[in-house]
Amino acid sequence: MRNGLLQGPLGGLRGPKAGEHMLGPIQKIDVPMRHYPHDEEVDVCIVGVGSAGGVLLQRLARAGFRVVGLESGPFWDTERDWVSDEAGSHKLYWNELRITGGKNPLVFGANNSGQGVGGGSVHWAGFTPRFHPSDFTVYSDTGLGADWPISYWDLQPYYALMETEIPVSGPPYYPWGDPHGYPYGPHPTAGISDTLVRGCTKLGIGVSIGGPVAINAGSHADRPHCIYRGFCIQGCKVGAKQSTLVSHIPDAIRHGAEIRDRCMVARVNMGPRGGVTGVTYIDPDMREVDLKAKVVIVSGYAIETPRLLLNSACPGFENGLANSSGTVGKYLMAQAGNVVLGRFPDLIRMYKGPPANSLTEEFYETDPKRDFVRGFAIQTVGPLPIAFAKQMVAAKGAWGWELRRNMMDYNHWAALGLLGEILPWEDNRVELAQEKDKFGLPVAKITFSLHDNDKKLIAFARKTTEAVMWAAGAEEVVQEPRYAHLVGAARMGTDPRNSVVDGFCRSHDIANLFICDGSVLPTQGSANPGLTIQALAARTADYLISERENVLAGKRSAQSGAPPVRYDLSPRGTSGRGVPRLKGHSR
Amino acid sequence: MAAPEAERTVVDPTVRRLSEIARPELLPIDPTTGNPLPPKAQPGYYPGFSTLSQQRFWDEATRSVVLARVREIPPIRFFTSEEAALMEAVLARILPQDDRDEEHQIPILPALDERLYSGRIDGYRFDDMPPDGEAHRLGLQAIEAIARHLFGRPFVDLGPTEQDEVLKTIHDGSPPAAAEIWQRMSVKNYWYLLVQDAVEVYYAHPYAWDEIGFGGPAYPRGYMRQEHGQPEPWEMQEQRYSWAPPPTARSIGDASNGWAPLQPGKDQSAGGQEGTH
Repeated sequence: MRNGLLQGPLGGLRGPKAGEHMLGPIQKIDVPMRHYPHDEEVDVCIVGVGSAGGVLLQRLARAGFRVVGLESGPFWDTERDWVSDEAGSHKLYWNELRITGGKNPLVFGANNSGQGVGGGSVHWAGFTPRFHPSDFTVYSDTGLGADWPISYWDLQPYYALMETEIPVSGPPYYPWGDPHGYPYGPHPTAGISDTLVRGCTKLGIGVSIGGPVAINAGSHADRPHCIYRGFCIQGCKVGAKQSTLVSHIPDAIRHGAEIRDRCMVARVNMGPRGGVTGVTYIDPDMREVDLKAKVVIVSGYAIETPRLLLNSACPGFENGLANSSGTVGKYLMAQAGNVVLGRFPDLIRMYKGPPANSLTEEFYETDPKRDFVRGFAIQTVGPLPIAFAKQMVAAKGAWGWELRRNMMDYNHWAALGLLGEILPWEDNRVELAQEKDKFGLPVAKITFSLHDNDKKLIAFARKTTEAVMWAAGAEEVVQEPRYAHLVGAARMGTDPRNSVVDGFCRSHDIANLFICDGSVLPTQGSANPGLTIQALAARTADYLISERENVLAGKRSAQSGAPPVRYDLSPRGTSGRGVPRLKGHSR
Repeated sequence: MAAPEAERTVVDPTVRRLSEIARPELLPIDPTTGNPLPPKAQPGYYPGFSTLSQQRFWDEATRSVVLARVREIPPIRFFTSEEAALMEAVLARILPQDDRDEEHQIPILPALDERLYSGRIDGYRFDDMPPDGEAHRLGLQAIEAIARHLFGRPFVDLGPTEQDEVLKTIHDGSPPAAAEIWQRMSVKNYWYLLVQDAVEVYYAHPYAWDEIGFGGPAYPRGYMRQEHGQPEPWEMQEQRYSWAPPPTARSIGDASNGWAPLQPGKDQSAGGQEGTH
């Protein structure tokens, strides 16, 4: 920078120093990464270093496991690789081909899973509500959907633990589900949050402001506070928004974990004795490499996880690994994510402030007065210009001069997203397509259709969200139908005949094969799944650690009770921090 | 002695005189007078706002990506010269820029061509669509066929009203020609592909950010003023002026005020949206 102009407290202006791997403007990888010899068998291989994989890697490394994470995308240096620019951030997404169909086809790429260390957590907006206790008993309560093999109370300590490690900013008392408070205070509101609060307040709907979000409202150690620039889903260069890349990976590397980035796993390999022996991956030079491991954890998220299991079919497992039930790939879910847009006489400037800020869960639970079961949330969203233009195209059919004219009013618009629970249906699924990717591996084909309950829920949620927008003072309200988040397709359950893994994410069929990511969720509630995925990963890690001998020997044990919660495995500088709240705060 | 009134009138040097404009029928009009509005260096309600002027406050990685986008216009390598000419004419109606002077028009075709040439995709393909490059080629053939079917002439030779009418048949989901092409790809998904490809280029450009008052790259400086739509010190207050689209345009709906939604969103995935939640 000319004349050392403005070399402020953030490193961003002058750029990173040579040789430093930066994760935000201050934090860096501070020890050399361990490298296991390529022919050496490790304890655990994790396929996919994203929301779940990052937490697993960190926990297992701290507990002394010899662990390698394989990631198909790059190990980001956020100062060099990420940009404060919407179009320039496309590399954060999983952009490889997927074929999508059904009556309500899902879109992928920018809309869903990520690629690169940190995975989807790199470009999530960062809402971190917990699931409600009722989410775990949907079938028992409604006769639709599925029950979980675990309860909310099994996950509760891990929710509290992850809220401290991430850490989550939010109100000191959050009234919905299992009421709890957050260890760090909430964020200030900006244009869209003020819109949601104004509309909800006018209609007498309770609303939570400033969180829960995985965004620092104050600085913590090497992670600065938010600077309210609104580029959360473009990867937070500030490092204020959590991704496992900035929250757990540095600690994992410090404790001896190895990450092999830009390595695409082609298949999980079966041995002669009914257990997996490791994986075969394709390295950045397009060479096939075998990695031997005593345990394999597949953490590729709801599309790549079933795709890998199906692509790993071999003699004796012709329908893919862990698929004796035939449910691998089935019961895929996305949440309804209709965006309701309102035009206001006054300026909003919705690009300012994190899109994820305020929400209401007043409509989360089943209400017998409605003609559908389960519910939805209403949340702030903050589309940047390209996303907003696409919403004008979809919601208004705008093109040509009408599109230009609407876009000139960008700063007058606010956007709210409904987040509606779509139930798990067998015909919503991931299969293998005829097409192959650049590695010669069949790509995923996804089929998705709404069912009756889903349609009724969306219609009601849309009407409610539009009412909030009108009540906030909008002079025009339009909406775009869409879907957000992906879960299911390798679900957990007690019955091996209709589920893929047990309550500890261990596959029913193969003792040393685990699946741990969003794909194991039997239902999804109307809470963003990121926190639940990370909490499940921490719990799965505790199980592996408490069962180390048996697990590494490829044996099942009699234990079915909960493992002890390992509060001592939190990343450096997070354990016990924050201010204890009324309920639900760990330690 | 005071100068004569006419000489004291401040003339925006970036505004063209109408007599220099080759095709005034393409220009937006002043609704109060009905006269065409001359092209500007910067249309929109934030005159003088410049995101590029703030580039010294951007981080290095972002600055190099955005400046490359502005300065390095890729050559046409995917489309043939005939296809490129046709696509240029189509894009000029999908996102008309006749209110911009020539130096400040945003090149859309080269960036689209570069995407298709390098095979970059958005991570999915609808099962009723061919690959993106093939879809664009088929789409151009269909547009040409509709132009000849409706008006008996090539699309590039049509006037703005006729060109919009051709495109509007696809927008409305009822193209009157090229049935064999529409058996190979969905009309709706082709329309979204076309319009979304255009907006991805246009609204990625700093000139477009200036036009709509978007702050642009914001790291490491961030924002201070979050309330009541207030501008940062380096941003601008909105200064609205009234304008209407050129009367020749047909991309503006049928309602009497010209701005009613053309086709309210249907309860199905529109495709191609960015992430939000």
